[in-house]
Amino acid sequence: MTLVLLDTNTYLRLAKRIRPLLGMKFGQKDYVLMVLKDVEDEVRRNRTLRSKFPWFDDEEFGTERDSAQIRLTADEKSTLNNARSVLRGHVLADVDRYTSGGRQPPSDTDCRVLAFGQIREAIVVTDDLGMHLLADDFDLPIWHGWELLSKMKAAKKVDNDLIRDIYAALERNDDMTATWLKAKHTDFARVFGPKPE
Amino acid sequence: MHKVVHSESVKSALAIKGWDQKQLAEELGVSGQAVTNWLRGVDFPRPATLLKLASTLALGFDQLVLADQADQPVIAFRKKGAAKTTDEHVLRARAMGAMLKPLVGYLPARQSLRTQISDTALAYESLQATAAAVRAKLGIGQEAVLSYEHLISQFAENDAIIVPVMWGEKNRHENALHILLPADKVTFIYLNLDTHLEDFKFWMAHELAHVFTPALAGKDEGEDFADAFAGALLFPKELAHHAYVNASHRRTPSGIISALHDFARAHMISLYSVYNEVTTYVSAQGLSPLKVTSQQVHAARNSDSVRGELVSATLFRPLPPEPSTYISAAHGVFKSVFFPALQVMLRERGTGAGYVQQVMSIALPDAQAIHDELLR
Repeated sequence: MTLVLLDTNTYLRLAKRIRPLLGMKFGQKDYVLMVLKDVEDEVRRNRTLRSKFPWFDDEEFGTERDSAQIRLTADEKSTLNNARSVLRGHVLADVDRYTSGGRQPPSDTDCRVLAFGQIREAIVVTDDLGMHLLADDFDLPIWHGWELLSKMKAAKKVDNDLIRDIYAALERNDDMTATWLKAKHTDFARVFGPKPE
Repeated sequence: MHKVVHSESVKSALAIKGWDQKQLAEELGVSGQAVTNWLRGVDFPRPATLLKLASTLALGFDQLVLADQADQPVIAFRKKGAAKTTDEHVLRARAMGAMLKPLVGYLPARQSLRTQISDTALAYESLQATAAAVRAKLGIGQEAVLSYEHLISQFAENDAIIVPVMWGEKNRHENALHILLPADKVTFIYLNLDTHLEDFKFWMAHELAHVFTPALAGKDEGEDFADAFAGALLFPKELAHHAYVNASHRRTPSGIISALHDFARAHMISLYSVYNEVTTYVSAQGLSPLKVTSQQVHAARNSDSVRGELVSATLFRPLPPEPSTYISAAHGVFKSVFFPALQVMLRERGTGAGYVQQVMSIALPDAQAIHDELLR
């Protein structure tokens, strides 16, 4: 089994349409998607996110998140905290690198997500380019949201209609990132065709 | 930033585990010479190896890495009441300092001449002389009302950049935060606008004291001097004398408080600041104390009718302000170059809203709104 950890934005981009999403095995490597409790905390304290994603509080989604959460032992929590501080210290020592090309410096919570990936050997899924740069620095496995969708397509967990539906929602919500947009006519060329001239 | 492995804490961690350097090298999959070089400070582990070192020895970043102290941001909090400063507060403020570094390159050229106070003695006459010298430099007499404009001009002239923030009235440890970047010789002063108008001028004067005494920034004596200087600057002994003469003729505590309150209103400072300056004056001059207790003054001051409005409400009614209004006020009212510099940086580098969130320590939706406005 290979754990795949979704950050808040990735969860919010996919969870409403791909049902069920968390806790199910798929693909040859038995990928299992999960989220940290941080997602719950971030959405609950953010009025804008709650009003933009009202389905988040529905029982179906809450139950799924609860059942897919991973509990950490005291030792793991301590290791997680040390790893988080190393990642965050690395960012703060050179913030400059994380402020160009659409990046933003990974926050303390972002570093916690990557640290979790390290201690549980999970693949982190995020569209945050700063987190990708940090993960690359530390040789940590990381995917973009579209890469996860592509793997789910290969495993026949999603079909072309659903992919079109997800892209339409990204456009409708003004939530289309540069990486999702680039993948639309490259990795998903069979769904959307080549990029129009 | 030049980084060196904290050899002492690594050696202590090895001793606790009963390991030698060779065992550590094997565990990490590196050569023994590599570990020796790290501990001698001639080399530094790759990021992935550093992470493995942290989990293997159960050490955090600060225990593993010795940072160049000369490059570290110097922090001073203006805390709320009896708020207790925790490691979390310090780490957050230091992180804000690190976030500010890329912005420095977008600020206007620094001034070469700055005001510095060398005599930071707390003795009454010495402090009064220091405050009088600053008032003279501002071109105002000892009994004149010191305006916000006077204070704001001094920040700008001394490379202290005001960052007006709306951190809320209650849920925050500090009401002002001073971050000095020593290597860049620039200071950022975060002022919480969600504070009472009557306190705001005192905090500004307190922060100005930090700007004038960079050598004391982040130290307890710096806080003591800043508090004493702020009081002496806003309400010097000449004013304290008048207030004392007026108040000492009153027969009841409420009459005394009313007399002090007239001065507080006229100078737009808190009743408690006036009481405190008068009490200090009385003590220095050996006069009879006013027949009112500090508890009675506190009780009067804490009533809403005395405390008045929040600065944010005065500036922006209705709240919350549109991002454009807020950014304009930072520039227009506080003469801050923070947002113009931030705007150029965001446009030139394509930095995401998460940077704005972290450098201002605000919620992401607010940061996103400011980010969108600056990129409009």
